[in-house]
Amino acid sequence: MSEQHTVSSAGTLILVNGKRIRGELVAGEESAAFYSKKSKEPVAQFRYARINRLDNIRHGGTFSTVTVVLKAAENDGQKYSFELNHGLKVYQFIDSHWTDKPVQPKSRADELKRLAELRGETIQKPRKHIFHRRHPNRSIGGDVGIYVLLVLVAVAMGFPLVFAIGSSLKPLDELFRFPPTVLPRHPTLDNFSDLIVTLGQSWVPFSRYLLNTVFITFVGTAGHLIIASMAAFVLAKYDFPGGKLFFGVATTFLMFSGYVTGIPNYLIMSRLRMIDTYWALILPAFAAPIGLFMMKQFMDGLPTALIEAAHIDGAGEFRIFWSIVMPNVKPAWLTMIIFSVQGLWNNPASTVIYSEEKKTLVYALSQIQAGGIARTGQAAAVTVVVMAVPILIFILSQSQILETMASSGIKD
Amino acid sequence: MQSNSLVSRYFSMKRESLKHGWALAKKRKVCYLFLAPYAILFFTFFILPICTSIFYGFTYYNILEAPRFVGIQNYINLILQDDVFLTAIKNTFVIAVITGPVGYILSFMFAWFINELPKWLRTIAVVVFYAPSIAGNAYTVFGIIFKGDAYGYLNSILINLGLLDAPNLWLTDPRYMMTVLIVVILWMSMGTGFLSFVAGFQGIDKSMYEAGYVDGIRNRWQELYHITLPSMKPMLLFGAVMSITSAFNVCDVPMALCGYPSTDYAARTVVTHLFDYGFSRFEMGYASAIATLLFIVMIVCKKGISSLLGKVGT
Repeated sequence: MSEQHTVSSAGTLILVNGKRIRGELVAGEESAAFYSKKSKEPVAQFRYARINRLDNIRHGGTFSTVTVVLKAAENDGQKYSFELNHGLKVYQFIDSHWTDKPVQPKSRADELKRLAELRGETIQKPRKHIFHRRHPNRSIGGDVGIYVLLVLVAVAMGFPLVFAIGSSLKPLDELFRFPPTVLPRHPTLDNFSDLIVTLGQSWVPFSRYLLNTVFITFVGTAGHLIIASMAAFVLAKYDFPGGKLFFGVATTFLMFSGYVTGIPNYLIMSRLRMIDTYWALILPAFAAPIGLFMMKQFMDGLPTALIEAAHIDGAGEFRIFWSIVMPNVKPAWLTMIIFSVQGLWNNPASTVIYSEEKKTLVYALSQIQAGGIARTGQAAAVTVVVMAVPILIFILSQSQILETMASSGIKD
Repeated sequence: MQSNSLVSRYFSMKRESLKHGWALAKKRKVCYLFLAPYAILFFTFFILPICTSIFYGFTYYNILEAPRFVGIQNYINLILQDDVFLTAIKNTFVIAVITGPVGYILSFMFAWFINELPKWLRTIAVVVFYAPSIAGNAYTVFGIIFKGDAYGYLNSILINLGLLDAPNLWLTDPRYMMTVLIVVILWMSMGTGFLSFVAGFQGIDKSMYEAGYVDGIRNRWQELYHITLPSMKPMLLFGAVMSITSAFNVCDVPMALCGYPSTDYAARTVVTHLFDYGFSRFEMGYASAIATLLFIVMIVCKKGISSLLGKVGT
């Protein structure tokens, strides 16, 4: 157990039978041990199966077989219970060797039942329902109502987008049909092929516009992710003079749209000689307050003990940030990526970039859209192209967010 | 003598806390290092522009000539002489009061409902609800749906049903413009706040609900009030800030749908007005004054909301 270190706080170990032992929890890299006050030998030892999901250790609740309640002196007697069994598998150290199977958690309901049986009371079994209910305290009527409401509103939300996609697939004669239809009768990809022809005839090749946008979006998002996360990390996890003030100011700036700051921003960028370079788009994106805000809020939820433990192990700030904090806030950084990509991809940047060969894809496409009646079909195709990318990126990263979240849930 | 000693005590305490703060700052040098790249960029592209904006608000500035100091003349003109600005304030206020709270509550309710769905259905539902707000300028589709001639989708349906004799000019008739705008803005209101709510619901410790069942929480409303809302305070405040932001910064949608300028300025908002003076008439001083007023109103709103949310679930 040479890799272990002491969490300097007095604690109480609560055993299954309700017995409490006062002592100290010693948390190590791979295992934890509880020492009682009297003996030098550990009363109980636990080994974690997955150390990287430390956000499973949360405060509140008393469910598992072995709950360690820490009474930290600096927390004013506030109780923190480490639910070692939730998601984080725990192996117990019995008779000088580790158990083969992880310790099985017992729910509080089981515990109450056992206690009631000891008192000689009988517990009423809940009524069986025709439908299987995922939550014990939900009415079926309410569930049905919610489903109906969701379907209705989803149809209303989806309709304009379906309409846009439908229009892009319509041949020219159907675009001006009366009465108008939502879906095309003879779907065709003509509008998209026309769009490619139009773009192919442009002075600057289409691929250049695409490359510009991809470069701006990629560099802007990557830089934003790193720079804003670094700032969010110290703002969330350290108390230093000026930190709270800075975050307060940044939060206030969430409320400004580009129009409000547009003019002075232009003047500043021209001073910095950044007009007509990609940096005019990329550098402000690095400092987007929304990413900082999002990240800081999520990092607040990380257990401080995690960082303190790494400190005691002798890890530097940057190592803590990069290999402990960042892997644990994956959902937040995926969210940051979505916002950043959305802002950069949809930015026509017409005010800060003048050279045609540096212009963005959205700008080139909006020029086609402005082409009038003759280009109605192509304009519909443009709308679909522009909306497809952020939505696709969202769909892809959303599945990852759900995946990350799901792995931290309770396994029944 | 009494007051003198009090004053000296105050200053010695102040000095003491300064000394303490300086010591802490020295100890946490690394923190400033981590914060520096972000702070420098943030100062250059966010704080500095706002300060310049406040400064230009007190000047007459048309970009070509050097700014000329005019005191509070811009503000006097805005409030006492600019009738269009008063229309803009009225419209922005109507849009903000309706779409802000309604959009916020809808985002929360639907995030909550979606959270009850099985996982695969939830994935689809989140995409369907969130897509309109990230779909670039897809709201221009409403230009076809609400088109003023018989080819417009809504007109066509209403005429076929016999509810209308002649097509309505949804986007150019001042009687309908605001209603149409509010519908479109509500359609787009499941934005950042909604996403934050969805993530928040999933992040809540499931064992707290388990504890709720055992402790006798009977229905979903009790669970919402006693368990969910208190755990989601940060997301709730974030959603509120986002709602205020989008409600007050309405600009693209009326400009794209109702025209710029719109008939009788009936769809003019404060930001459209700012855009007009800043980007079309190049009266930067006047535009900056509008920006400053908007800034103050939004800060006051945010303060009000955060003190309101402080009481949730207690």
